[in-house]
Amino acid sequence: MSLYTYLLISAIIFAIGSYGIITQRSGIKILMCIELLLNSANLNLVAFSSFNGNATGQVFAIFSIAIAAAEAAIGFAILVALFRVRDTINLDDINILRW
Amino acid sequence: MFSDYAAFIVLLPVIAFVLTLFLGKKLYSGGALLPIAAIAGSFIISFGIFLEIYPKDGIVQQSWPWFAGMNIGILIDPLAVVMLMMVSFVSLLIHIYAVGYMAHDPAKPRYFAETSLFTAAMLSVVLSDNILQFFISWELVGLCSFLLIGFWYHKPSAAAAAKKAFLVTRVGDVLFLAGIVLLYVNMSEIIAGRGFTVPAGNFILQFKTMFAAIPLINPTQLTYITLLFFGGAIGKSGQFPLHGWLPDAMEGPTTVSALIHAATMVTAGVYLVARTFPMFAATPSTISAGVPDSLLIVAYVGGFTALFAATMGLVMNDIKRVLAYSTVSQLGYMMLALGTAGAVVGAQAVGISMFHLISHAFFKALLFLCAGSVIHAVGTNDIREMGGLFSKMKITGTTMLIAALALAGIGIPFINIGTAGFFSKDMIIEKAFEYGQLKGDFIPYAFAIIAALLTSIYIFRLWFMTFTGTPRSERHSHESPGVMTRPLMILALFALFFGFAHLGFYDYLNKNFELLTGEKAAPESGGVQMSPIVVLLPVLVGVLGFLISYAIYHKKMLDMSKLVSSQNPLYKLLLNRYYEPKIGADIIGVKLTHDVVAQSGEFVDRKIIDRLVIDNIISNTLFKLGEFIRKLQTGVVQNYASITLLGLGLLILLLRIKFGGT
Repeated sequence: MSLYTYLLISAIIFAIGSYGIITQRSGIKILMCIELLLNSANLNLVAFSSFNGNATGQVFAIFSIAIAAAEAAIGFAILVALFRVRDTINLDDINILRW
Repeated sequence: MFSDYAAFIVLLPVIAFVLTLFLGKKLYSGGALLPIAAIAGSFIISFGIFLEIYPKDGIVQQSWPWFAGMNIGILIDPLAVVMLMMVSFVSLLIHIYAVGYMAHDPAKPRYFAETSLFTAAMLSVVLSDNILQFFISWELVGLCSFLLIGFWYHKPSAAAAAKKAFLVTRVGDVLFLAGIVLLYVNMSEIIAGRGFTVPAGNFILQFKTMFAAIPLINPTQLTYITLLFFGGAIGKSGQFPLHGWLPDAMEGPTTVSALIHAATMVTAGVYLVARTFPMFAATPSTISAGVPDSLLIVAYVGGFTALFAATMGLVMNDIKRVLAYSTVSQLGYMMLALGTAGAVVGAQAVGISMFHLISHAFFKALLFLCAGSVIHAVGTNDIREMGGLFSKMKITGTTMLIAALALAGIGIPFINIGTAGFFSKDMIIEKAFEYGQLKGDFIPYAFAIIAALLTSIYIFRLWFMTFTGTPRSERHSHESPGVMTRPLMILALFALFFGFAHLGFYDYLNKNFELLTGEKAAPESGGVQMSPIVVLLPVLVGVLGFLISYAIYHKKMLDMSKLVSSQNPLYKLLLNRYYEPKIGADIIGVKLTHDVVAQSGEFVDRKIIDRLVIDNIISNTLFKLGEFIRKLQTGVVQNYASITLLGLGLLILLLRIKFGGT
């Protein structure tokens, strides 16, 4: 497979993630879509690293996965806390951060 | 060896200031011993440096770079070393005296901390080697003066006097600063345009660099610079027309008056003119250039002030105010000496003026401390309520008489025996006479000789009214404790015998600028033979003044009630101090500054800038814009995400357009 294929797959994953973020209303689904975005970027990093013969990209990808794990933990913790207070994680109902 | 520790002359009192301020409450007598020890240290170092540099005609120079071609430095030449010794010595005695005088004051730590800071600042003025550091210390001295005049700030009159002193001296300080700026501009110009170079290790505003640059500076500019400097000196030394703050400054404790407003701080103005004397002397001495030469103005302002202040000294009833006007008048003499003798004997004028400055410091500090001792005993400042104190206060009375004799310049001419003032003041008056002969202008001489007569009258009036006659009020006065009388005795010794140092003093000071710039001073002008009458006259008027006061205030040979009444317009004029407070405070202060300048400024600021420009234009526009933009914040997360993605897309698009690619 050429580099191009990897990039194409990555772009598709990214597009799915973006679409999900914009259209979905459930907090959990949005978090999952964010994971898709992150992992499409990781895929790019690994692909470039592999094709350029340079390990740095892969190291970056591992860092990125670790950070994504932390971010997901915090995100879900927020959602759990939110659910306890508001009995919903539908983001349409959570819009108090505004004018 | 001592010169290595020159910086400690200033640092010791600064350390004492900090320690006394924070720890004073827990220490003996409000921490008085710390400043006393520190200032004694400063005096010992100063004296040690004097002993080191006097035999070999040396000077001490230390300098550290600061910023932008400026430096911080120490310059101890003959001029500075005599000032250092005088300031630290007088300050030391007054601090010791203050232990007794301020014994019942609750705010002693603040008092001793502030006087210690003052001493540090004044010493720093004296040993500055550049005009900028001089100015900074000068301002610090002004601040201490403000704090100490307002020491009893709960008294409205003291608070007002402190404010007045601060504002009036500020006028002078602004002129001084303008002078420094003008000097800097001119220095930069001659460095850029006329090939003047500042030697390595020297700095642009150092005194020696300034003096080296004198021949290159445009003479008219030099006159402006020196006149602006003199403006600063007028403010600090209470010369006409900025003299009004000094008598009001007597609201502070008497020790403060003695230390700051008689012996040391107010002489900073004279010291400034003496320090920059080569610049004053180099100003063009003809009026043809469209500007009179600076020394002429110094002489006239000084002479006029000497006479003008002495007239007011005649009628004041507050013991300290008489002395305050006396100080103003004597400072006038020092300026007069710089101006007239400067024209006659060149840089030797500095020695003549400084000698009077230092002998004045001794006897005026003594006069004030005696006055403090009297006030301490009697509990009032009004000499009309005193009288007959001599039998109860023998030491104070005797020392004050010595000081009065010194102030009046009593001595025996021709065989040269006399008080300190006899040598110093007579020299000034004689030089004024020589000036008259040289220039055909006897007005400064007339000022000086009439002022000498008035000086003698007012000081003996003060003494007779205080110490002789019958007590005019029922008060249980007593002699002050030893901690107060001993400094009086030491100062009295100096007031009596310091005069004998005059020849050595003149010789030493004459070398000053030679040592600094390396240029030979002008040869001595051969010593004009004075006619006996000129030599005799200053002493004669002194004795005459004594006799007049003796006749009027002791023997009561003349009935003064007619003269001293509100019907007599002249007396009224003098008692109201030539309406100076009225003109200064009411007309210039309230009417002009407040009603016209401040009010119109307020109108422009509040009505035009605040209301019209800021309210109507700027803030309204911003508010409306904000109202519109805040609607964008919907609070729906998807909106934000969409806009972010849109932005990302736009960014990629822009990059494509900009850099192309496949």
